[in-house]
Amino acid sequence: MGARILVVDDDAALAEMVGIVLDAEGFGVSYCADGEGAFAAFAEHNPDLVLLDLMLPGIGGIDVCTQIRGVSGVPIIMLTAKSDSADVVAGLEAGADDYMVKPFNPSELVARIRTRLRPPRTESSSNELRVGDVVIDLEGHRVTRAGTALNLTPLEFNLLAALAAAPTQVFTREMLLEQVWGYRYKADTRLVNVHVQRLRSKVEIDPDNPVVVATVRGIGYRAGAVSS
Amino acid sequence: MQRLARELHRWWMRVLGLWRRSLQLRTVIVSLALSTVAILLVGIYMSVSISNDLFNTRLNQVLAESQRATSTAQRIFDSSVVTDRAGVQSVMNAARQGIRDSSSSSLIAVYRAPSANQNAGLAPQDFSSPELSGVISSDLRTSVQNSADQQFWQSVNLPLTTGDVPGVVVGSRLTIPSVGQYELYMGYDFAQAQQTLRFIYGVLFASGLGLLILIGAIAWFVARMVVTPIRIAADTSEKIAAGNLDVRLPEQGQDVVATLARSFNHMAESMQAQLTALGTLSVMQQRFVSDVSHELRTPLTTIKLAADVMYNQREEFDPTTRRTAELLNAQVTRFEKMLGDLLEISRYDAGSVDLELQPTNFASLVQDVAGAMTTLAEQHGCDLSVSAPGGHFEALIDARRVRRILMNLIGNAIEHGERKPIDIVVDSNATAVAVTVRDYGVGMATHDLELVFSRFWRADPARQRTLGGTGLGLAISQEDARVHAGQLDVWAAPGEGACFRLTLPRDPKVAIGHSPLELPETDSSAGETR
Repeated sequence: MGARILVVDDDAALAEMVGIVLDAEGFGVSYCADGEGAFAAFAEHNPDLVLLDLMLPGIGGIDVCTQIRGVSGVPIIMLTAKSDSADVVAGLEAGADDYMVKPFNPSELVARIRTRLRPPRTESSSNELRVGDVVIDLEGHRVTRAGTALNLTPLEFNLLAALAAAPTQVFTREMLLEQVWGYRYKADTRLVNVHVQRLRSKVEIDPDNPVVVATVRGIGYRAGAVSS
Repeated sequence: MQRLARELHRWWMRVLGLWRRSLQLRTVIVSLALSTVAILLVGIYMSVSISNDLFNTRLNQVLAESQRATSTAQRIFDSSVVTDRAGVQSVMNAARQGIRDSSSSSLIAVYRAPSANQNAGLAPQDFSSPELSGVISSDLRTSVQNSADQQFWQSVNLPLTTGDVPGVVVGSRLTIPSVGQYELYMGYDFAQAQQTLRFIYGVLFASGLGLLILIGAIAWFVARMVVTPIRIAADTSEKIAAGNLDVRLPEQGQDVVATLARSFNHMAESMQAQLTALGTLSVMQQRFVSDVSHELRTPLTTIKLAADVMYNQREEFDPTTRRTAELLNAQVTRFEKMLGDLLEISRYDAGSVDLELQPTNFASLVQDVAGAMTTLAEQHGCDLSVSAPGGHFEALIDARRVRRILMNLIGNAIEHGERKPIDIVVDSNATAVAVTVRDYGVGMATHDLELVFSRFWRADPARQRTLGGTGLGLAISQEDARVHAGQLDVWAAPGEGACFRLTLPRDPKVAIGHSPLELPETDSSAGETR
């Protein structure tokens, strides 16, 4: 049995079609057609990934996203018709990991889903990485500061691990898009900006003066120096 | 000398400019000029009449005096009976005294008339006041000699001790019994009249000048009263033209200016209302296009997924169904592209386009796009060649949009290039980078060049679109160029091919001087549109 995916979309035909595509790829699919029932469906099916339409009747996709993020770091991919709307940024800020603009290819959809479900790959030999004053336990998927666990989503964990695995490397947004999101071509750098902010709000003591994920002006980001 | 002339010229130009620009100045100057003429005419008329009147009055007075003096002298002569020369002389002296007493003038001359010298032995000598010698003309003397009992006069300049003064000399005849005819001349100066006249001239001049100054001030004031509202109206229209639709003219009073202000404001109001309505309509339409495009996306996604699933399984279908699946898949892709282009155009129409400028190596970008399209070109039998004498630096452009323009231009060249080579040239200068895409295919007629950037326009409706263009490509490319503050030009000639030139500023904030690349030239006038 493959990973379980919850499709939240009010368009029954699209949901069914997505279901057909995902089913053919070996995923287990469950459905929810509105925002009100989405959280209950999430709790009931406990999926490994959520495909969430941004424009839902009743409770919107952004609110659903916030609700789910309140209890889980499960990967969320938004489906949206408008790539340039403020809704996309709002969705990312609410915790969605990635988004897809309609109309999308089935292969693209499957690739995005697989990237999000894949465990992070790091060439590090050790099981533990250090960045700033936080410790990343690659094996246990845990990030701790002075023994206290920090609650990161898998995406945030991947992002932090990617930066920490090459502490001397300055990462451009494009490099991070490729390594963490799996985009091989130029994609939306807002993804990186929003998620670095979300990551900082969790790992930094003072997010306004970041030391764990440092900004390299004009280029991108790098891991902060290790401190004891 | 030359500098002075130049200085003068500049000064003159400035005055001329001021004259052309300032209605107020012009009004004042014209009023002043016309008033000067009027005052001058009135002044001349007044001074002429006054001086005539003064002269005539004095002349009549002088003639009357002279008449009286002559009669007095004649009476003295008539009542005397003298026989010897001394007696005649004493009578003559008495007569002179009588003349002086009865006349205000002491300028007297007495000449013996040449025609009557019956008794030369008794005749007294000629006598003349020194001031009169030399001023009595021979014409006057002839008149006096030829006519008895008549007065003659002549205007003269009397050389008095105080200087020359205007005056008249009045001449008449005296008859001295038993001696003969004498001419009597009396000089009268007009100094008093002259002084009065001079005073009147002074007053006239001063009042004329004062009047002119007053008229100038009045004209300035009146012109200001009229010009100021006009100027305010002009300023206000300028503001409205610049887009500030909220400005209005002040409405005061009931006069023509107030009427102008009211109708102007009325016009502005209705214009603003119409523009707002139009703007709302336009926004609604744009939103409608955008909404339609977005609403179509969800069903299109389903169709696309379905078509793709079928396409991937086409090998299992019978040939007809297989072909159907292929067609469906291809046309769904085309439909999607069209929808994307439509959305892009609607974004441009709504003005909601943001450039993502980043330093990009222009020549590399062109080479990159050309490389990506080589396979397509080979499929159509075209040979793509790129030469880049310039453009090897980082220009501040939106790479995604420029890439889209290039793909569009090269795609068009491949489609219309008729399997002939396609030349791509990149160059740059101080302000701009440019690329030309030249094909040697069917080309276009000159009158088609203006339509080439129109939406959904086809050079030849009968021609099939082999590359599945949407008809919006060049329209979007032009918008893409424009949003960069660049330009997209085209040259084409039937049978000779077409050449598209994209010119972009190195930095969108710095204007393009001229394009680094030239479009080809034809013998007939090269059609060039922007």
